[in-house]
Amino acid sequence: MTNVLVSHADEPIGRRVVKALFHDKEVASILAVGDGPPPRSFDRYLGGSEPRVHYSRVDLAKHRPASDLFHSASFRSAEIDTVVHIPRHGAAASESAPIVSGLPERTAETRLILQNCLETGSIRNLVALGSAFVYRLVPGNANRLDEDCELDLDPDVAPDIRSWIDCDMIFHGEVHNDRMRVVLLRVPTVVASGGYVYFNPSLVGRPGPRVRALGYDPICALVSDKDVARAVVNAVQSETSGIFNIAGTEAVPLSVLARWTRRTALPIPGPLLGWYTAGARLVGAETHQAADGPHLRYGFTLDTSRAERYLAFRPSDRIGLARAGDGAMRLETASV
Amino acid sequence: MTESTTAGTPAPPVEELLGVENTGATLGRDPFTELADPDPFVERLDRLQIVAPRGRARRARREQPLRELPPVEPVHRTGKHETFTPNARSRWAATPTLAEIDLDESKGLVDYLLSDHERRVLAGLAQLVEGEVPYDRYGFSPETAKRSFPIFLALYRYYFRVVSEGHANVPMEGPAILVANHGGLLPFDAAMGVIDIAVHSDPPRLVRAIVDRWAGALPWVNIFYARVGQVIGTRKNFADLLNDGQLVLVFPEGMDGARKTITQRYRVQNFRVGFIEQSLRERAPIVPVAFVGSDDQTPILYNIKPLAKRLGLPIVPITPTFPLLGPLGLLPYPVSYKIVYGEPLNFHERFGPEGADDPRLVRYLANQVRRSVQQLLDKNRS
Repeated sequence: MTNVLVSHADEPIGRRVVKALFHDKEVASILAVGDGPPPRSFDRYLGGSEPRVHYSRVDLAKHRPASDLFHSASFRSAEIDTVVHIPRHGAAASESAPIVSGLPERTAETRLILQNCLETGSIRNLVALGSAFVYRLVPGNANRLDEDCELDLDPDVAPDIRSWIDCDMIFHGEVHNDRMRVVLLRVPTVVASGGYVYFNPSLVGRPGPRVRALGYDPICALVSDKDVARAVVNAVQSETSGIFNIAGTEAVPLSVLARWTRRTALPIPGPLLGWYTAGARLVGAETHQAADGPHLRYGFTLDTSRAERYLAFRPSDRIGLARAGDGAMRLETASV
Repeated sequence: MTESTTAGTPAPPVEELLGVENTGATLGRDPFTELADPDPFVERLDRLQIVAPRGRARRARREQPLRELPPVEPVHRTGKHETFTPNARSRWAATPTLAEIDLDESKGLVDYLLSDHERRVLAGLAQLVEGEVPYDRYGFSPETAKRSFPIFLALYRYYFRVVSEGHANVPMEGPAILVANHGGLLPFDAAMGVIDIAVHSDPPRLVRAIVDRWAGALPWVNIFYARVGQVIGTRKNFADLLNDGQLVLVFPEGMDGARKTITQRYRVQNFRVGFIEQSLRERAPIVPVAFVGSDDQTPILYNIKPLAKRLGLPIVPITPTFPLLGPLGLLPYPVSYKIVYGEPLNFHERFGPEGADDPRLVRYLANQVRRSVQQLLDKNRS
């Protein structure tokens, strides 16, 4: 039996992971941590005389609150031995990312969580979600990438993707740690029923217009939020450590994905993409997407054979279009 | 934890098979261009009847016609590939035959341009896409294929007047590599090959042509290639396609084939060796293919190499119509095509996946395939 801490549990994928862990009989208790108030969906978990789920409101990107949490008496008494780190991905991720201690918030948070996990000494397993947009993409729409493909270490890479790469490398450095098992799950574009999309640097944030490079329409590998939660549960239960690609069966072009998720991908000539972002920032517009880069030109899908072999992960959700209540066609996920 | 490559029957090392030491002294040597001293390694290979005997001198070799290739034992002649056990999923086996496909009563504009047979072919290709979305993981879109199919079919029938033979040599299921000569500035040879296989196979097979990486960087072109099922030529893509049991078309000459001048036409250029490695590792047969006519579609009189280098282009050609007619001068002439599929070469059965790690053997086999393609060309040009 394990006791699990889940970061950013108040965000969509965090909620899904808490739900999956709640229904896992191998998990004794769950400490859900988030920035905001507990989600309403947690009401059924938090009630009762001896609830298995506890919720704590902590900003893990700041040193003091994070340290206080990991060294608190309640943390020790809960005997947490597994940490599931889900980076910020919901609506809050669309706001301009704050800088913490000179680092992007995502990187600072990752460092703090890893540092505290190592200092605490009681953590045996660390499972983290990372982005598959860290890979270096070569021209073409059909880059089939496995875990050994090289990362995009170009110094001109977009800051949003740069922070994902930094987080990836931070975890990568601890994969062979003897005292703590580290599992990093690289996920491509995550979609959820209702047309929600996460982890895609081009489409992240609220619905609205987006830009893409004229003459290019990269293929985007998709995975449903339920499959991501299943992969996390499998990673918690497994005995292995390492880096694993997690993806579903489907892949669609960026323009189609934008349309399905209530966004419009406006084609703009490549050289103007940087100017567009700079101009939008000048006029105060919200520009949360990565301004330019290979991900706007070249697509990829992921080879998940390693996850299938070591984590027993197989996507069980299919992603497609369905008519929503308002009559519009929306992206939906359904279990096979 | 790295994913292992395809497992197969372990084959003995090449040196053990041949009984000689492979010193690698003449690594990458082209049997078209001979050395003065006989090499025991190559001689032993010759005795295995994989290649024709070597010539004498480089200059004499250039002027002499190619020697006759000792016949490689054909594995099948019925069109049904029976000797190969694919490690792919059963997706291809589940593809319905043309007779089993029911056509929709409702017809679109495109459907009126096509016969029932061609509509069934398109419906069969559409069923190759897994999942709920109308794209496969390489970007293939049956809808785009359906729209472009009538255009290329018209080119196939009325512009290039394609005739083809030897379809029984193309496996109807499981992975296989079609290795062909490349010619003409624009890759109409690949397009004609894709159409030819689609209309002559039952159940219909989609040929995945491997395209150069630089084509993936071309605006719009990269989208079109992906939507009609063509794939950028990375090793991983190639291996995955074969592992999926797909039919892959490669032009190992690369751009050297496309930029041949009129004096070199129908002379197959040096082959890259990657396709041999993939064939051995993924245990896929190789089918040599000759495109007769592609070298005549855009006769290149001269290639201005310094200008091409300066502009970063693979070629700046001078043809009878380019630059005289501007970009229109690059369009192909209405030459007649003949596509010939040769007997499959099953190197993987003799050497196994371990052979892919021997660069000398791989180069040797690549030259053997090159020779087969050249002979098909020479035989069918007349």
